[in-house]
Parts: sequence; C-alpha cells; structure tokens
Amino acid sequence: MNKWLPTVTALAGALVLQVGVAPHLAISGVVPNLFLLVVITLAMLEGRSAGAAAGFAAGLLFDLLGTGPVGAAALVFSVTGYIAGSLSEHMFAESWLMPVTVVFVASLSAELAYALVLTVLGAGSPFWSAFASVILPAAVYNSVLALLVYPLLARFLRRGRPMTTFGRIG
Amino acid sequence: MRLPEPERSGGGTALLVALVVISLIIVTVYFRESDSGPLHRMRRLTQAASAPVATAGEWVFTPVDAVRNWFGGFGVSRDEVETLRAQNAELRQRVSELEEARLENERLQEILGFIQARELDAVGARVIGRPINAWEGTIVIDRGSDDGIEPGMPVLAPEGLLGQTVDVTASSAKVRLITDQRSGVSAFIQATRAEGIVNGSIEGELSLDYVSREVTVTVGDVVLTSGMGGVYPKGLLIGEVADILAAENDLYPSIVVRPSARLAGIEEVIVLVGAPPEPDLGSGE
Repeated sequence: MNKWLPTVTALAGALVLQVGVAPHLAISGVVPNLFLLVVITLAMLEGRSAGAAAGFAAGLLFDLLGTGPVGAAALVFSVTGYIAGSLSEHMFAESWLMPVTVVFVASLSAELAYALVLTVLGAGSPFWSAFASVILPAAVYNSVLALLVYPLLARFLRRGRPMTTFGRIG
Repeated sequence: MRLPEPERSGGGTALLVALVVISLIIVTVYFRESDSGPLHRMRRLTQAASAPVATAGEWVFTPVDAVRNWFGGFGVSRDEVETLRAQNAELRQRVSELEEARLENERLQEILGFIQARELDAVGARVIGRPINAWEGTIVIDRGSDDGIEPGMPVLAPEGLLGQTVDVTASSAKVRLITDQRSGVSAFIQATRAEGIVNGSIEGELSLDYVSREVTVTVGDVVLTSGMGGVYPKGLLIGEVADILAAENDLYPSIVVRPSARLAGIEEVIVLVGAPPEPDLGSGE
C-alpha cells in the first residue's frame, strides 16, 4: 500500500489541479495536461509498467472529465506511459534536458495519437489545424511546465528512496 | 546515472497489451451503450464529483484574473506620478464597472425581451468550470436536472448564443460551446436570408458553411439561428461575418463568423428550458 500511496496521491492531485487550476492557466485555449505530466514523471521514475498502469488510470479520468469517447485517452496514455518508461531507461539523467525532452516527445506523441484515435472514432479535426493549434503548443507547454513540476513530483514520488536525479537543477 | 532500475526485457509488455485491450473494450461499450449506460452514468458521477473542485477553482482565480486584467489595462500609466495614477486607476475602475453594468443591463433586457416575446422559460446559471483540455470547448454551469435542465437545451450569454447543454447531473450541466469542433448550428444571414451551418473548429473559430455562392455576403452581416434542427429557436444572435474567402473552384465560399458572445471569461449564462418553437423562415427578425 505504501508503494502505491504516493502514486494514487499524485493522480488525485493531478485530477484536482486539472479541474480547478489548469483551465485558468490556458494560453490561447491551450490547457496544460497535468495528467500527462504525472504519468510521464511516474514512468521515468518507476519504469514502463508503472507508467502504463498510471497512464490507464489517468487517461480514464481524463476521458470521464471530458465529453469525448471514454477509453480513448486511457488507451493513448497507457501507451505513452509505457513508451516514456522505456525511453527513460535508455537515457541518462544528467541534466534538466532529459525530463524536458522526454515530456516533449511523449506529449507530442500522446496528443498526436489522441488526435488519430478521435479521427478514427469520428470526432477528429483537420490534421494541420489540430497540429498547429493544439498538438504542438500543448507539447511545448507541457515540457516547459515539466521544468517546474518534474523536480517537485520526483522528490514526492521517491520519498525515502535515494534521489540522485535532477541534482543540477534541484 | 540512470533514473529507475531498468525492467526486464519484455517486462510490462503483457500489462500494456492488457490495458490496450481493456481500453478498446471500454471504447466499444461507450459507443454501444445508451445515455443511461454505466459509462455515461460514470461520466455524470465524475462531473458531479468534480463540480465543487471547479467551483473552488473559479472562486480562487476570479480575483486573480481580475487583478491580471487590471494590471494589463493600466500598464501604460505606470510611469505617471504615483498618487495621480492610483486615483486615476480607481476612478477608471469605477467608471468601467458602471459602464459594464449598464451595458450588461441593456443586453440582459434584450435577451429578456427575446425570451418573453417567444414565451420561453429561462434559467440563469453561473459558470463553475472552464475547458479542462485543449481538445474540447465546454464549460460547466451550476444548474442541472433539479432546475429543469436537460441535454440539448440552448445556452445564451448576454451578447448572444453560447452553445447547448450536453451532460446534465442533478446540480450541474456541461455546455458545449458553439466554437467546439463538434458543434454545428443551423443559421441564416439576416440581410439576405441565406441559410447555412455555423460550425466550430479545433482553433475555436466559427465558420458559416454551405451558403450558396450566388448569395452576396458582406463583412459585418449578422448571422442568426434559423430554428432548423429543433435545438435552437429561430432568431438567436450568433455573430457577424468577419471574413469571406471564396476561391474559384470552391463549391461554397468560406465564411468566417465572429461570435457575438464573449466566450472566454464568461461568468453568467441563461439556459432556455422547454422545446423551441417551430421554425418560421418566412418572416424576419
């Protein structure tokens, strides 16, 4: 239970912040995806299995909070968590660039995949419009936020365990 | 040094496959079930449970937004003498508030007149939630089925049409804005009576589609709901034509519409309850 408590707390915190705070941080209609930030951070710290499981839970919450098809984000975030976990296993945590890069790549992939799933399910929009107005800005916004969120979240999630990551900016 | 201890090769793949399969089953069930199905019910429960959080967020950020707007509006006068600036700011703020109240009163009177003329019932509501992701244009209001609200009811801002209710719980309702990419409103141009469909987009912009090329459309033309489709009563103000792009080979001109309603930062809305009257396209508004 102790192992899962920080994860569940982080996801609950993401839920509260996504509903209560994120809408007020929107820039030109682009709302940061705090669920995705938590999933990617978890995946980087705990590995791809934890990333996939957290991605599924966060995606399901994301689906239930929105008006789109339920299950679409659960599918995309599961895969994203798995890929982010795999990516981080093959990268070195020597600088701030690593989490920012992983968050950017994972966010971009997640938003692209979500757009694709919406299109397949008949709720999509023209690709280049979606790319220019949502997908790319959201990936950039999330990776900028990762600079702030990642060190805090990493410390919280790895409390009581050696924390050698991100030392240079922490 | 590496972040986590790497998992075994192939570790987690079985879990991922299981989660993907479960997700696909959930999507299938969602599309197959009716509005009273378990996933739709779960969504309404989530909406009801998250409404207090959204309300708290609105409560906390309203003054923050006001202060941000205030500083934005008075940024030019920062170099002026300190006391005069403060005095000036206070007076301007008061004048602005009074002017805003006067304009809002006028707009509300107009809407009230519109509602009374058509013998429609209306319920006032406060916005308690903003779009929580970039993919959809929806807001949450603090009125639900306990107040007589049902899915598919038109929602107005003082300046014009805002959208329609989609998911309704006992004490809250989600409103899909007309700028949402899944929104489509039957409309006509007031001056020429040309009909079309006002569609939203992922960029949050409105376009008036399927208007015949033979109709002359000019920038500034007023666009109103036509009443076709059974959701919106005829004559609700949607916006005005902002731009017209007509390539030679296009079947229909591309008409950009500027919405009348202030979609960002909207605080109060009006929900029209009850069925809309039959459309009557033969008469003007």
